[in-house]
Order: sequence, then C-alpha cells, then structure tokens
Amino acid sequence: MALDEPPPASDDESMTSGAVPAGTPLPAEAELLAGAERLPCGRPLGRAWQQARDAGRAPDPHSSHCPHCRGAIEGLTALDRATRALRGEEQPDGHRLATRIINAVRTEVRLGPMLFLDDPDHDLRIAESAAAKVLRRAADTVPGIRAASCRIIASESGDATHVVTITVAATLDRPLRGRAEALRGAVLHSAEHVLGLAVTAVNVEINAVLDLSPVPSDDRFELRDR
Amino acid sequence: MHNRMGTSPQPAVGVPPHRALPPLRGVDNVGVAQDTAGSLDDGLLAVRAAEGDEDAFAVLVRRHSSRMLALAQHLLGSRTDAEDAVQDAFLSAWRRLPEFQHTASFGTWMYRIVTNRCLSTLRRRTRPLPLDTIPDPATDPDRSPPHVAEIDAATAALTAALQKLSPELRVCWVLRELHGLHYEEIAHVTGSREQTVRGRLFRARRALTEAMRPWR
Repeated sequence: MALDEPPPASDDESMTSGAVPAGTPLPAEAELLAGAERLPCGRPLGRAWQQARDAGRAPDPHSSHCPHCRGAIEGLTALDRATRALRGEEQPDGHRLATRIINAVRTEVRLGPMLFLDDPDHDLRIAESAAAKVLRRAADTVPGIRAASCRIIASESGDATHVVTITVAATLDRPLRGRAEALRGAVLHSAEHVLGLAVTAVNVEINAVLDLSPVPSDDRFELRDR
Repeated sequence: MHNRMGTSPQPAVGVPPHRALPPLRGVDNVGVAQDTAGSLDDGLLAVRAAEGDEDAFAVLVRRHSSRMLALAQHLLGSRTDAEDAVQDAFLSAWRRLPEFQHTASFGTWMYRIVTNRCLSTLRRRTRPLPLDTIPDPATDPDRSPPHVAEIDAATAALTAALQKLSPELRVCWVLRELHGLHYEEIAHVTGSREQTVRGRLFRARRALTEAMRPWR
C-alpha cells in the first residue's frame, strides 16, 4: 500500500471487494454481467438499460413493444430524473465547519526543527516551519514564481548558518535563469533582513510550470458529462 | 520538468543592496499572502501544508469542505455525523500530509479519507438514523406547485432509498452520480477494482429503480 493511502487501521479500513477472488478472469463489461439478470421476456436487464442510455438510436422492435423492457427503461428514467434533482440541490454550506476544522488544525501545529538566528549570543531560535513560511512569501513576490517546498537546513559546522532549498513552480514567459536569480535574491534578503537568519546558499529547483489563471474555489470537480 | 538550477552556493553578502522588494508589513502583507494562496493550485498548497504551513492547509479546507460535507451527508444521512466525519478526515489529512505522495490529486485523496471515515462511522452505527435524516417536503410551505412537490417527493424518496442501500453500493452510486467521479477514480477512492465498481453501480441502480417504482 502506498504511503499516501490511509493505512488499514481499525477505524479507517479500505473497502475490500470480497465478491470476486483476485485472479478470476472477468469480462470487460462486468456491469453488463451484473445486468445479466433476465427480464420475464428473456432479455437481460442490462441490455434494456443500455438501450435507454443510447439516446441517439431508435429502440429495436422488441423493446418498443415489450412491456417488460419498457418498464425497465421507465424505471431507469424515473431514477435519472430524481438523480438530476438531487444533484441540483444546493451544496451544504461548509463555511462554519471549515472554520471549526482550521481552528482544530491550528492547535496541532507542526513546528519542525528549531533554527538558531544570527544574533551574537545565538540564543534566539525560530521554528523551521515558521521561517519557511516567510521565505515562501518572499519567493511569491517574484513575478512568475510560486513557492512549493522550502527546507532550511542548519550547516554541519555548527556556526548558525543555514542552507535553503526551495522548490518552485515558474511561468515560462521569461528566461528561467534570470528568474531563479531574482528568486534567490528575494529569499536571501528576506532571510537576512526579515528573519535575521544566516543563509550561505539558496538552492533553487523549478519542478513545475506555473499557470497563473485563478483557481475557482469550488467548481473544479464539476460533474462531467456522462 | 525537473531543472535543478543554481546549486552553487551563493554568499548572502552577494545580494545587491538596491534590490527592490515589496515591504513585508503587518496587515497589508497578510492580505497579499492570502490572495497569493487563493490563487495556488492544490498541489502547491499540499506541499506547503505537508511542511507545516497551516495557512496553506486552511485554503485547502475552505476549497474542499462543502463538497466533502455533501459527500458525507449523502453517505451518512445526517448533518451532525457528516460534520464530525469531515472534521476527522481533514485532521487526519493534516497529520498524514508529510507522507502524501501526490500519486493522486489532493481532492481524490480527500475523497478517499472522507469515504473511509464515513464507512467506519456506518460500521459503528447501532442506533437508528436521527430524525433529521429524511426531508419531508410536504411540510415545507414554500413549495406549493404540485409538480415541484412531486419532484421533491421523488427526490426525498431517492434520498430515503439511498440510506437503505448497503454502504458499499451507496458509496459507489454517490461518487458516480452525485460527484461525477469516473470508474477508475471510484476504484482508487474505495480501494477496489474497476470491475467491482461497475458491478456495484449496477446493483445500486437496480435497487434504486425498484424503490422509485411509484414515480414512473
């Protein structure tokens, strides 16, 4: 099981199919197999439904006269009608719930390692996650750049210096080299003057092409046509 | 594309002193940061959130909570249970994000977590469904035209019939018909095979058409 999938813990089990043992050969259209159940006229229910969905084709002589096939098609039509109405109902307003969730998340902050600031006594520290947020924000101010990962690793020398590795998405309307230099400058400036963190190097990785068209809030999973 | 650029160390002192950067200041800056985050796609936000950026995660929560709540409500038939399931799912996602491998989109990953959370709620459920489960359009005075009432009644009947399906069938039907997921996405979300999904969808439709018989 891949790491990004929920582990099969007691409260989060994946569903198992159960019905068909692994390795059993299955026909390409299992849905039709499941629909092999026959109507009293002898025709498989799945086939009658298939005809109902083939809107462009006229029904064959049998199904236009057979009361069983017609009944099956009417049943599916009634279900489709109610389904459309249910789908058209307004989505519940999740705003209040979202606020509750965000508040709960903020009580579970993941700080990450603590980093020494560049003060004379080296007794001030900042969480990597907090510092990374500031550096990402600086990266976002560079036109055509949006920051993804930002890791800040303390040098092994123990002198409170750090190496930043920042991964970004960039638009392709300008040469990447110049853009990477601007990014490096923005990050170094922010590290030094906003955070007071000594940074000896900024490694820049561009691993995605950025499309800056706005992301609509909640309609990217719109129902697709069937 | 995975261009690794500028790996040679650059000393901090090399920054030109005249570099013009927008000031990072109080309230203004917060506004800018939120605007920027709002324009980011889920993938970037998920990477940031995985590294402990709760502001990025907040944007993801705002973006997906209504859809996840709709899913949970259709699976559980109760607003209260649905809210609890969605909250648990997002908290679980927040804790697990560092392990999220981006093999699926964040949205599909959330569908999977919310679905599993709802299924475990259903397995634990011993009490009957709460009274807020099934809407009664007949008592709604704002909807008087007969055809509207009839459509509402049919919708209510479908909602009620949905709650009588086995959880596995209900999940497949809701993801396909109300959320528009494709077979392979449903297979990923439910951890089953595409053929299994197709079979379940057929059985769900079969049961629901029976329940909808009076509305033909």
